[in-house]
Amino acid sequence: MTLSGGLSRPGERDRPIIKFMEIDWTFCLLLCLIAGSGALMLFSIAGASWEPWADKHLLRFGLYFVMMIVLAMIDLRVWFSLAYPVYIIGLLLLVAVEAIGDVSLGAQRWLSIGGFRFQPSEIMKLGVVLALARYYHGLSADSARFSWRLLVPAAMIGAPVLLVAHQPDLGTAMLIALTGLAIVILAGLSWRVIATGVIGALVAIPPFVLFVLHDYQRKRVLTFLNPEADQSGSGYHIYQSKIALGSGGLLGKGFGLGSQSQLNFLPEKQTDFIFATLAEEFGFIGCLWVLALYGVVIFMALRIASISHSHFGRLAASGVTATFALYVLINGAMVMGLAPVVGVPMPMLSYGGTVMMTVMIGFGLVQAVRVHRYTEVTSGKGSLM
Amino acid sequence: MSEPSIFFFEVNERQGVFHRRAFLLGGFAGLGLLTLTGRLAQLQLVEAQRYQKLSAGNQFNYRLVPPPRGLILDRNGVALASNRPNFRLMVIKEKGMDVEATLDDLATLVPIDGTRRARLLKEVNNAPRKAPVVVMEDMSWEEFSRINIRTPELPNISADMGEVRVYPFGGAFAHVIGYVAKVSDKDVEAARTDLTQDQELLHNPGFRIGRQGVEKAFDIALRGRAGAIKAEVDAQGRVVSLDPAGDIPATPGKEVRLTLDADIQNRALEVMGEESGAIVVMDCRNGDLLAMVSAPSFDANRFVKGLSGAEYKALSEYERKPLLDKALSGTYPPGSTFKPTVGLAALAAGIDPEIRVNCGGSWYYGGRTWRCWQKGGHGAQNMHDAIKNSCDIYFYQTALKIGPDAIANAARAVGFGQTFDIGIPGQKKGLVPDREWKKRAFKRNPANQIWFPGETPSYGIGQGALNVNALQLAVMTARLANGQKALVPRLVKSVGGVEQPSGAAVPDLPFSKEHLEYVRGGMAAVANDVRGTAYRQSQLGLGDVQMAGKTGTAQVRSYDKVKTRNNASYTWKLKDHNLFVAFAPYDAPRYVVVVIVEHGGMGGATAGAPRAREVMRVALLKDPEIRARIERPMPLPEAPVETVDGVVEGAAPEEPEEGGPPPPQPTTPPAGTPGGHI
Repeated sequence: MTLSGGLSRPGERDRPIIKFMEIDWTFCLLLCLIAGSGALMLFSIAGASWEPWADKHLLRFGLYFVMMIVLAMIDLRVWFSLAYPVYIIGLLLLVAVEAIGDVSLGAQRWLSIGGFRFQPSEIMKLGVVLALARYYHGLSADSARFSWRLLVPAAMIGAPVLLVAHQPDLGTAMLIALTGLAIVILAGLSWRVIATGVIGALVAIPPFVLFVLHDYQRKRVLTFLNPEADQSGSGYHIYQSKIALGSGGLLGKGFGLGSQSQLNFLPEKQTDFIFATLAEEFGFIGCLWVLALYGVVIFMALRIASISHSHFGRLAASGVTATFALYVLINGAMVMGLAPVVGVPMPMLSYGGTVMMTVMIGFGLVQAVRVHRYTEVTSGKGSLM
Repeated sequence: MSEPSIFFFEVNERQGVFHRRAFLLGGFAGLGLLTLTGRLAQLQLVEAQRYQKLSAGNQFNYRLVPPPRGLILDRNGVALASNRPNFRLMVIKEKGMDVEATLDDLATLVPIDGTRRARLLKEVNNAPRKAPVVVMEDMSWEEFSRINIRTPELPNISADMGEVRVYPFGGAFAHVIGYVAKVSDKDVEAARTDLTQDQELLHNPGFRIGRQGVEKAFDIALRGRAGAIKAEVDAQGRVVSLDPAGDIPATPGKEVRLTLDADIQNRALEVMGEESGAIVVMDCRNGDLLAMVSAPSFDANRFVKGLSGAEYKALSEYERKPLLDKALSGTYPPGSTFKPTVGLAALAAGIDPEIRVNCGGSWYYGGRTWRCWQKGGHGAQNMHDAIKNSCDIYFYQTALKIGPDAIANAARAVGFGQTFDIGIPGQKKGLVPDREWKKRAFKRNPANQIWFPGETPSYGIGQGALNVNALQLAVMTARLANGQKALVPRLVKSVGGVEQPSGAAVPDLPFSKEHLEYVRGGMAAVANDVRGTAYRQSQLGLGDVQMAGKTGTAQVRSYDKVKTRNNASYTWKLKDHNLFVAFAPYDAPRYVVVVIVEHGGMGGATAGAPRAREVMRVALLKDPEIRARIERPMPLPEAPVETVDGVVEGAAPEEPEEGGPPPPQPTTPPAGTPGGHI
């Protein structure tokens, strides 16, 4: 880029100022635009008030933004060496949740340490990405295609997915599983295996829905398949969300004039259904704006992944991108009545600290990959193999 | 494992695979975003209008304004069913409300004891969302205003003014008008598929559904159409703002005007006293029903609020059956009131009415002795005398001469064995037996399918399988009195101002005028010949306006093994039914009165005729033309003086014969004891 001329000297790229300049600031601007759009909607649905959501949303974003910049400066080799420890700590915490976690809303997801409550499943979203990237970094193309060595990534994905699903938090479990799969595929899994897996999954889904899911989860799936059957019960969410979206029309009802959200017909309007609020007040045009922002962010993140010289960097950055894209697509599909209601928010747009933190740490990693794209990552010490 | 041996080309291969697949991943994400965009276009561009409507439906709530139920009036506009204000206190069920706390709040306003609280708790918990549950009705104005002041601070509690049905005459019209009652689950189920019904109105807490009679038959017309108050509400149903411009006024229910006359109806119930039975009054010029009473009655107002189990039990288990409409649903053997019909049948069959039959009190036929009610016999009777005296022997033999089918034909022609469309349900057809009927009725038992000759004599005196209801008796009498038209009864004069078809727009009777005239002559003699079976009880005391009639007794059991038919000492249940049919004025018939007194004892004159006379007097005196006729100054100074009860049995009476044709001179021996006629 601009500074490439003077960067050939050894050690030159390790200078903080250079690193700082190497951060993709366009990307950062896009993130600010998304978070700003979110704050605008939160301001609107609170009745044109910063309280209680918009101010905190912006404050958090600012905080995590700084954190992202800091994380971007961390050498990719450090990330590399921390990959397994993070994964193992995450796994242990998940087990701890199983044993001593708080039960809230019928699910055991939270862990309190010294008054600080958090969900270990969020750590795991990044933990799986890091661990898989590290494992594949030391794997030959042939082995990645199809070999007994793939049992290790299978176990890496399977263990946290099962633990999270058992909480039960099906949304996060699915997200972790899909992110993991994305990395496995990106790393070069044989197409035959992929095809077999897809067919197997299609066969396995109906019995899974019927026999394994909890009642409320099954109800959500069935509701999704026929939302109009029960408009005041569990179909209410999807139904009201579709009304909010559809009634927005091309240009929307106007800022602060969305009756669905302002009059509380829309449930979870500040979190999972913030996109419906946006669609109601700003219409199709507003939705296109936000979806375009997400599309560009995904595109840029994937580009960052592909210019990395290290396989670890490529897989880690693309894994984070996959997580982010899945958030957007799943939430969008849910809000538009294309998927069952699962507790997946729209990243950066929805109110709520946990997911924003996960995504911003992830983007810190993506930026670190960009900043350190020429860094040689060797699998010397600390290698699993 | 040692250092992984990844060669350079392998590193390149991994990178190549990654690039291709990253491109694919980007493609997938792009495809996903495109799908979302497509879906958005579908929802926001294609289906936008539909969702905008749904959104407006969410945002604006039309609070139902129940329409006032249509009034039910008598022929003169007297309200028989109207509405009165009702101050109610309600709990409105909302999602996530604390029912216990709400009831605690309520308890500070109105007294709520433990059992009531438990019941309310159940009701509120079972109620659908946003559905109000009525806690208290008919509050005083003080209570209402006290609560109304405090409701804004009490969530989920609201006080409002509704309307409640009221029947000002209590029981007099209970069977005809019926009553309204709370909507049952069955009604809701039945209305679900009925698009003409307003489902929301049905669920309104104050709404009552017509259960019987006119209230049921004209329920939809009486309901009217609900209006609405437009309000912007939030998801919890709380009103954010009102929009009076969007209000829709309620359309009141249609007014139903009946042909009944409240004065006559009330008098009819009054004269029934403690007795059980029915009175029907009909205008024999056009078929209008002026009164239709079933006694004893019940207070329909009790049903509006909902009857307690004990109350209902008391009503349904009372042996005089107040809940049964005896005017329409009660069927009785007509007894001797059937004799004019048999007479008509005989005349139509070509029997010469002047051929006399000798009555010696009993007659041996078909292996048994047939008795006349008059032990000593009536002597030689022509048809006129036989009707006047209600001679059984004459009609036993006449019936045998003409056979059952001829009688059945005449019976159907005068209105028996059928129901009439009077707008309300509940009529029983009764039974007019003939040979055809026997074949149908005894399918299982071929031996019984033939008509036995021994059945015919009883048929001739209105006994046996023959069964009629009070309305049919009134139609029969009205047709005889009218003398021309096959009148049909009319109960509903107009609905919502639309006049209903008159009962006079009907074909003529299949009898000759002379024959009808002859039979009426016999009926006139019953009431006006001193030896007629109901002479003394039929004097109206209205000058030359006179009544004609026919007595009847319907046996409720066989008397073959009983020594005397004098009913006086029997328990109520075993006494004969007492019937009387009458019309007046005899010379220009206008009104028909039919009285059935269940277990009133033998002889239509004892229980039936005096009641018929009282009701007839009210009907006649209400008629301005009749009144003018009664009150007109007499052309001659020596006007006949009559007293109602002053005529001593057997005393030589003067013959009041002004107006109509003189009844033929009686040629029979003197009548026996008063009353106790068949």
